[in-house]
Amino acid sequence: MSWQDAALLSLRSLRRRGARSLLAAVGIALGTTLLVALLSIAGTADTRIVSQLSHGGPAAAIHVDDAVPDPAGYDSDTLKTGAHRDLDDAALAAIRRSPHVSSVVPFLSSGALVVPCPGADPASPAAPAPCRHRADTYFGTLVGADLTRFHDLPITVLAGRLPRPRSLNEVVVTQSYVERLHLDVAHPDAVVGSDVEFATPQLLPGTPARFRGRWYQARVVGVVAQTVDDGDFLVSLQQTQAARGWALAGVDGRAFRRPTSPYSGLVVVADTLANVHQVRREIFAIGYANSAPEHLVASVQKYLHIVDIVLGGIGSVALAIAVMGVANTLLAAVRERWREIGVLKALGAADLDVARWFLVEAGLLGLAGGLAGTAVGTAITAVVGYTVNQYLVDQGLQGIDLGGLPLSLVLGAPPATALLAVLAGLAPALRAARLPVREALGG
Amino acid sequence: MVRVEGLTHSYGQGPTALTVLCGADMDVEDGGYAAVTGVSGAGKSTLLAILGGLEAAQHGAVQVAGEDVTRLRGGGLARFRRERVGFVFQDFGLLTMLTARENVEMALTLAGIPRRERRERADELLAEVGLAARAAHRPARLSGGEAQRVAIARALANRPRVLLADEPTGNLDEDSACRVMDLLESLRAERGCTLVVVTHNPELAARARQRLRLSRGRLVRLGP
Repeated sequence: MSWQDAALLSLRSLRRRGARSLLAAVGIALGTTLLVALLSIAGTADTRIVSQLSHGGPAAAIHVDDAVPDPAGYDSDTLKTGAHRDLDDAALAAIRRSPHVSSVVPFLSSGALVVPCPGADPASPAAPAPCRHRADTYFGTLVGADLTRFHDLPITVLAGRLPRPRSLNEVVVTQSYVERLHLDVAHPDAVVGSDVEFATPQLLPGTPARFRGRWYQARVVGVVAQTVDDGDFLVSLQQTQAARGWALAGVDGRAFRRPTSPYSGLVVVADTLANVHQVRREIFAIGYANSAPEHLVASVQKYLHIVDIVLGGIGSVALAIAVMGVANTLLAAVRERWREIGVLKALGAADLDVARWFLVEAGLLGLAGGLAGTAVGTAITAVVGYTVNQYLVDQGLQGIDLGGLPLSLVLGAPPATALLAVLAGLAPALRAARLPVREALGG
Repeated sequence: MVRVEGLTHSYGQGPTALTVLCGADMDVEDGGYAAVTGVSGAGKSTLLAILGGLEAAQHGAVQVAGEDVTRLRGGGLARFRRERVGFVFQDFGLLTMLTARENVEMALTLAGIPRRERRERADELLAEVGLAARAAHRPARLSGGEAQRVAIARALANRPRVLLADEPTGNLDEDSACRVMDLLESLRAERGCTLVVVTHNPELAARARQRLRLSRGRLVRLGP
């Protein structure tokens, strides 16, 4: 009997006992679903989340400050700085030369007087007052960065969009700005479309100290969560460079020093998590203070590994139970088909033919269950991924892209379950194959 | 040709052993037709099972279709059952999940006959037993007589030299029984194969050219 003939015979046998076959396949499907979903979620937590963190995520990026390092900061996750040190293009190039650095994005922060300008009330007949005359001004910080390198920065867009690259009249705000305006943080898009005015100070010569402001208005185009630097506003690097140029045109005062460093800091991403420490040491050697939550990430990895083991274990137990279900189904089938086995042997079937019949049947059950389980597991993973991502974004945290299941898991699960089912079917198949003909015929 | 000499067979061991065949002898020439009768439990089915290679002979010589059955093991025995003998069972022994045609094809499938050829041969055989119109029907939709005719077609599928029928009419009414026996006899005559029928029905046994009675483990020749 060829494999094809055995498959046809097995299909007929499965169809004849449809309900039992379905239950056995559903058992396999449930086990596979659980295993696939748990493994992929655990695997995703292991690889995608940590990998995402390591590629610009807030937890794994190295923050370089425009200051010399404090020796106590070598093995610490927190930033410990010494005296100020300008961070220029030469330093940036030196850090970029490190073989384990995958990206370096500079940023420049600039202090400014902030005047929120909520949209005018169209129902009010009175013309809105000029923004700069409002009372709710405060001194805030603008963070300027190369926004074309968005993916290399720890930024998540919560609403709207990022400013256009090089734009001087667009800005995105953080949730703290939304809170300051007493708007609902859960609906950050309410602030999108409003304006905000900034005044960068320039100290004029003479006493008493007098400042002149560089006023400019920008449209809020989005809301972000960002940990590039402390600050309520994210703008193009050109905007804060212009502000720096304005401040440099003034003089130094006793409490107001002109900014000398071209950049306030850098966001450096190592090529792998394992190399974060090495890159940090190299930046220390170049002479800049830096920080990265290495210990935190290591702890997260450790816990994720434990989660891997636990979830994988639960899935494996479920699959093992399902496979035992297949063995049980086939043992019952052998008992039930005692006479048919005898007839087949009387017709000249070799032991191998009979074994093949049952093994193919086990394989088909496993394959059907594996395919269904993988499909459902994939769907569950997608739903979980979407839910987790939504939750993170709703909480103002950086979202994660759980992506699809690993291809190896999708392609490997159905054949693997089929193989497991075949292994489970070995004992019943051998029992059937070795059945004495006369005994099977009921003689 | 079927030749049995000094065949002894027991079930169990020691004092509780039940000897059903005790030095049985039998000789049916090529193309012959023998009927074996005997009371229930006399060992008729055991004799047939040994002749068909379904049960190993314990003592004695058994030659069937030119093969020494006592020497066959494993794959050789399966090949013998596939190629040399055809079985007809009292309860038909049809696989219920297959159609009449597929049941006949199964014997050819086991013999490794290509798909197209086995379908043609199955249809020819079903036509020969008058069941061409029932080829696509499952056993549950066939009458007892029809089911037995399908079983006969299947037994003949691989053109066996010996046809062994164990109470082939045991589950049939009188009319069907006669028709089935007529069919078996005519097919034997057409194909020239040896037919050994086990029955407890003396009337059916009387139709055979050679009648044997199994009594106290020995085969006794009846009639001429």
